[in-house]
Amino acid sequence: MADDDHRMTVGFPRMRKEPAERRDFLPPLLARLALHDTEIVVEHGVGGGMGLSDEDYSSIGPAVRIASHGEAFEQDIVVVLRCPDLDELDLVPSGTALVSMLHFPTRPERVVRLRRAGVEAIALDCITDDAGHRLVEDSRAVAWNALEAGFDALERTYPLLDDPGRPPIHVTVMGAGAIGRNAVEAATKYGRTDRAARLFAAGVPGVEVVTIGRNLTADQRYIEERLRLTDVLVDATQRSDPSRPIVPNEWLGLLPEHAVICDCVVDPYQLDAEPPTVRGIEGIPQGNLDRYVFPPDDPAWDDAVPGGVAHEHRRMTVSCYSWPGVHPRACMEVYGGQLAPLLETLVERGGMPGVRPDGDYHERALARGSLRDWRPSESPAR
Amino acid sequence: MRVGLPRMHKEAGERRDFLAPFVAALCRDGVDGVVLEEGYGSGMGIEPVEYLSIAPCVRFAPYREVFDQDLVAVVRCPADEAIGWMRPGSILVTMLHFPTRPGRIRMLEEAGIEAISLDSVADDTGHRLVQNLESVGWNGVEAAFRELVRIHPNFSHPSRRPLRVTCLGAGAVGGHAVRAATRYGDPRMREEMVANNVPGVEVTVVDFDLTWHEDYMLGRLERTDLLIDATSRLDTAVPVIPNRWIAALPEDAVVLDLSSDPYLPNADPPMVKGIEGVPHGDLDRYVFPIDDPAWDAQPPAVDTTNRRQALSCYAWPGIHPKSCMEVYGSQIEPLMTLLLTTPIARWDERSGPHDMRAAARGALARWRTTITG
Repeated sequence: MADDDHRMTVGFPRMRKEPAERRDFLPPLLARLALHDTEIVVEHGVGGGMGLSDEDYSSIGPAVRIASHGEAFEQDIVVVLRCPDLDELDLVPSGTALVSMLHFPTRPERVVRLRRAGVEAIALDCITDDAGHRLVEDSRAVAWNALEAGFDALERTYPLLDDPGRPPIHVTVMGAGAIGRNAVEAATKYGRTDRAARLFAAGVPGVEVVTIGRNLTADQRYIEERLRLTDVLVDATQRSDPSRPIVPNEWLGLLPEHAVICDCVVDPYQLDAEPPTVRGIEGIPQGNLDRYVFPPDDPAWDDAVPGGVAHEHRRMTVSCYSWPGVHPRACMEVYGGQLAPLLETLVERGGMPGVRPDGDYHERALARGSLRDWRPSESPAR
Repeated sequence: MRVGLPRMHKEAGERRDFLAPFVAALCRDGVDGVVLEEGYGSGMGIEPVEYLSIAPCVRFAPYREVFDQDLVAVVRCPADEAIGWMRPGSILVTMLHFPTRPGRIRMLEEAGIEAISLDSVADDTGHRLVQNLESVGWNGVEAAFRELVRIHPNFSHPSRRPLRVTCLGAGAVGGHAVRAATRYGDPRMREEMVANNVPGVEVTVVDFDLTWHEDYMLGRLERTDLLIDATSRLDTAVPVIPNRWIAALPEDAVVLDLSSDPYLPNADPPMVKGIEGVPHGDLDRYVFPIDDPAWDAQPPAVDTTNRRQALSCYAWPGIHPKSCMEVYGSQIEPLMTLLLTTPIARWDERSGPHDMRAAARGALARWRTTITG
């Protein structure tokens, strides 16, 4: 796309999602790109959800200018965290490199549309290193923010949480992948290090975290016994068969009344799909950044859980499609740090046509995330 | 620029060398020559032709000659004598551990050698870019389950109860150990167990806010088949598990040390392992049966009365040298590209590109500036 004398332009449109979606890329990332020969076009109001002003961005330097939503999309490279809505995708010109969470493996219609439009799509969720590890991810925030909300909820349902005479808290984490690992660490700290420090200083016994993988989640006798002991149940599974729940709704009745269900997984209910997709823990609602705490008597259970899905057994539940967005600034610091070297490489190479699949470390990673080289048979990144 | 790649002259079990793709990347970056120590790669069964066929500028030479190059790269730090063979102005890339090796820093400075410490190369958020904690967790757990298979009476029987693993510590190493343990440290073994309907593994993680609780811990240990130390202690003078607590473990339990803190009886305060009494192993020797003389060779102040089959290794990633070096190779490759294209004096830690900022944090010059203010 870029001639030798072409100055690369990079657009940063804002996300049009639920009102509580407050994330935008932070000035340090843009400042990093401004060091290269680029023009950076930022949508008016950027950062407003995190208390930042247009001036916080424009003061980076003359390379940065504030523009409209549409103009932010009309650039050589467009960077937006969550995938734009369908009508916004029409704003992306052919040949533009769209850098976003595009989820190629599970969004075949989106892939067709992007290809047809000639967009140089790069899926952040598919950018991996040579060993297959994702380079742009915040599984730590998924786990920590979910467990923070989970223990906040437990404070409401279990008044003994601060009592030095109580037994250790029992947390059961289903799944031992990246999110599960972080969930274990977060659970040992009650989801917040300051809460852990306060309770430790008060002589309150800590948290015992039990992790179980697929070979035990399928063991009904074991799971039933385990649920009876569990104060916080965490779903961090990656199911090979999403048409069957791991914990059927009736098993939730085995949990203590004060127990909290902490949902770190974003599988939605898709009963029209073939085969239908159900949630790992049957009968719990799926939340978003606007609403992620669901007490058992919340009417949302009836509204959010599709008919035909058992949901009579309920416990306090926390669930969010975008857990990292609960703390937007910390999240965008992480993503900004991860994206900086990749975007710098993309700019230096003049866009995707200049990126060599056998080039340096970051070029190879970008190539893996690119729609150019992606084939439907490829399995999703680990 | 000519690059020297020496072998690691450590214990005999240390078999790691950079792999051919790493050398090929150096050649792509335009080095004038790559000098490999004679026997390079042989510990991993790699034939010389694999390296020599990459480019004409690749050759083998004696150990000493490898250090007489513009840039020398090796994972574990060479002996002082070998560093002394390097020319003033040349560059050493290795794990130098600046914070705990003041004598080494002085020696490098006096010799006029520029150095990059791989353990200090970090991104803007302080995360190390050259590390292999995943292999620490997986290799240790894999070895521990091999011992459990051997000594557990019903390991593979469908009627046995789920195995119980207790992991001390929930940090990065602990996280990988937990995942590995849910899979018996070996995905193939896990598949076999699942196929035979053998109950799986329950992994319990406890951190410092429970490990102090003696009654709880003794009860926990009584129900533990594999005890893992993955702690990162602030106070290394006090063990997490005093030796007398080991008596609570079943006789056929296994103890795995992933922290690899050594015994330093002469330090102030003296340092002890997280699980008191466990011998300190290396790549030559990392499995210690209860009658192994290594238990009796501990410093006198260390209580070794209670013993279980134990595993400990200073360099767990080295157990599987090839996969370890694939990881290190891909992590170090961007650093080498930078070194070969931009003089260290021109590195800009604040406004340079990501790789430059990260590498600059590992440079001796920068460390010197930091400690002198």
